[in-house]
Amino acid sequence: MSARFQRTRDGKVRVELAAEERALLRSLPDELRSLYESPPADDDPVRNRLFPRAYLDPTAEDAEREWRELVHPELLRERLGSLELVARTLDGGQERRGRVVVELDDEQVAAWPGVLNDARLALGTRLGVTEDLDYADVDPDDDRAPGLAAYGWLTYLEGELVETLLGGFPDDPE
Amino acid sequence: MTATQIETAPIETIGDPDVAEVNLTDKPWLVIVWNDPVNLMSYVVYVLQKLFGYSREKATKLMLQVHHEGKAVVSDGNREKAEADVARLHAHGLWATMEHPA
Repeated sequence: MSARFQRTRDGKVRVELAAEERALLRSLPDELRSLYESPPADDDPVRNRLFPRAYLDPTAEDAEREWRELVHPELLRERLGSLELVARTLDGGQERRGRVVVELDDEQVAAWPGVLNDARLALGTRLGVTEDLDYADVDPDDDRAPGLAAYGWLTYLEGELVETLLGGFPDDPE
Repeated sequence: MTATQIETAPIETIGDPDVAEVNLTDKPWLVIVWNDPVNLMSYVVYVLQKLFGYSREKATKLMLQVHHEGKAVVSDGNREKAEADVARLHAHGLWATMEHPA
């Protein structure tokens, strides 16, 4: 749990990962791709969370279908593009003293939060996490323990990344 | 000044019943973000700033409203704009819907 994001002088974001952290992250694009491309199913809570309805009104089925047909291909293309960028940047990382260092330009770094977040949405939905989840309460023998550990690490990593990116907005108070 | 403009405007613009009807009855669609147990508070602020160009203050206020009240209206507009905003929010993993006030 020691990955760190840092702004470099030339405006890139530098991320340092342990080898096993990179391996975990590198598995996400393939897993998410198969989720994105799985056939739609009304009773799949993970898919419904990744691709929710637009129309709150349950009687607006025609509008919902039209909207979906219009935007879904683009939503899918954007997400697949982000997976590709994350995979490619992870593969391009340099190993230094047992750590992997990846440097991300603006376009590359913009792809990361969405991929981390989709992985957490999928994992969190599957594991049924709640807002007041306390990792200290998780029984190590619980079947969900390994998944929750991964979820917790991704939460930490996304939080660090988002803080770094918020620091790049012109009205960041710090 | 307003009165002068109305007096000099072409008759067909003033008298167009379709234009008058659209302006009077078209309430904006509301784009709503709902609370969920996964999205980080900081991430919601980041997405609202990035997508809508909101200030840190405004994005934080909306995020806190989602967190405490379960939902917040984050944007509004005609149907096409609302549909596009919902899609952009979904692309970033936020749980968003749109509705038209009665």
